[in-house]
Amino acid sequence: MTLHAIPIRTSPAVVVSGLRRSYGARTVIDKLDLRIERGEFVALLGESGCGKTTLLRALAGLDPIQSGRIDAPRRPAVVFQEHRLLPWENLWRNVSLGLDGDDARQRAAAALVEVGLGERLEDWPRNLSGGQAQRVALARALVQEPELLLLDEPFAALDALTRIRMHVLVKELVARHCPGVLLVTHDVDEAIALADRILVMREGAIASEHRAGNRGGAAANRAKLLLELGVLTGQQAV
Amino acid sequence: MILSSIEQAIGTELAGEDQGAARAAAAYSRSRYTMGRRGLLVVSWIAPVVLVVAWELLAQAGWLSPQVLPAPSKVVRTAFKLLLSGSLLNDLGVSMLRAAAGFAIGGGVGFALGTLVGFSRIAHALIDRSVQMVRAIPFLALVPLVIVWFGVGEAEKIFLVSLGVAFPIYINTTLGIRQVDPKLLELGRVQGLGTWQLIRRIILPGALPSILTGVRYSLATAWLALVVAETIGAQSGLGFLAMDAREFLRTDVIVLTIVIYALIGVAADSIARLLERRLLAWHPNYGDATR
Repeated sequence: MTLHAIPIRTSPAVVVSGLRRSYGARTVIDKLDLRIERGEFVALLGESGCGKTTLLRALAGLDPIQSGRIDAPRRPAVVFQEHRLLPWENLWRNVSLGLDGDDARQRAAAALVEVGLGERLEDWPRNLSGGQAQRVALARALVQEPELLLLDEPFAALDALTRIRMHVLVKELVARHCPGVLLVTHDVDEAIALADRILVMREGAIASEHRAGNRGGAAANRAKLLLELGVLTGQQAV
Repeated sequence: MILSSIEQAIGTELAGEDQGAARAAAAYSRSRYTMGRRGLLVVSWIAPVVLVVAWELLAQAGWLSPQVLPAPSKVVRTAFKLLLSGSLLNDLGVSMLRAAAGFAIGGGVGFALGTLVGFSRIAHALIDRSVQMVRAIPFLALVPLVIVWFGVGEAEKIFLVSLGVAFPIYINTTLGIRQVDPKLLELGRVQGLGTWQLIRRIILPGALPSILTGVRYSLATAWLALVVAETIGAQSGLGFLAMDAREFLRTDVIVLTIVIYALIGVAADSIARLLERRLLAWHPNYGDATR
């Protein structure tokens, strides 16, 4: 695993302070602070129900905030677990969803070229494989030139080989567009492969933080993360 | 010696049977092969053609009284006569105009109310129960009341057609809008679409399959309403043609109007299907969109 230099920017992609969110008596997120720089790739790991999807939805502006602050310069772009392409619009129109201006088609076409689907501007979503559809969803998010890109387990439904290809593509695209990225995932290896910084979330708060390129390398990182997630016991990890 | 000859005989017999079975199987598979889709299409037309021919022969032979059922050839001749005199086209035009006017009015009202109720919970609470209650009435039961309101005239006919059309369109529009995938609506919000954009690019296209089902269904109801309205009383139109012919026992004209009603029903349905194929090209169940 190579060490990624975090580009120093004047403005962060997002700053969260004291975020709290509860459903009835159950507190899902409790006094959460988070700062993501532009160009920084952050992965958020945690067991199901630990509040990571809730956090992502709050950042996306899909759920109202109960208390605390989220400061983001612009509306973030989101890639969901399902591609969520409009079946009644062709690929370039799907990608241009939400773009204004006369150059919407050109920009959408350029984004589709970036994800390797430049030949299929007029094609229908139903003719795509799962990986291709997710690439279109990625193009649709990046064409917005977001400062914050939220990825909600976008590769979870893909087969192993397609997932690896997507990892390479995402890394490339993020390096070129330089948004701050928050990747919510279950997959420890995915987090290690992609992220500059890995956060482990537990019971609505960030329990620990790991930087890529720690001493001992990826294997040590992996063991430590699995230990924290309760997958391995201490003895197994050693 | 004897035994062996018997054995032989049985053997050849069995072999013969086997061969026969093999031949039969081959013939079966060959017949399946040559039959294909076109063969089946031809077969499907045998019964209707035989029926019409039998009808014609029975009528020619005088077994069927012309007052009960005129010969098909007689109906065709009558059709030509009426076409040439211009009265058939005139009556057909009047009927189509009534259907179109009723469809436009009923469809417009149904769509507008359906959209409103689909989008707004308040509108749903206000309007939907009343509409559902009125819908429970078979709309033809309203005919006497409608005649008292409007008399026997154009307004009564157009009103009846609109009534028949409005409900299917209303119900399917509401349903279509409510069934739009909430995940796509969420996506629209994430992409920063405004309300109008959300309606135009996500909600209406998502509701379209259901709306078109309503259109297809309502075309049938519109036609039914028109037949009833024109049969009750009219000075022109296909129904008038039929009722006028009844006075003079002209069963050939009556049969002709029935056939025309049927043909127009079929035509309306094909137009609706064509619309579905065009507008829903993206949909796996309708269009044939490949690259």
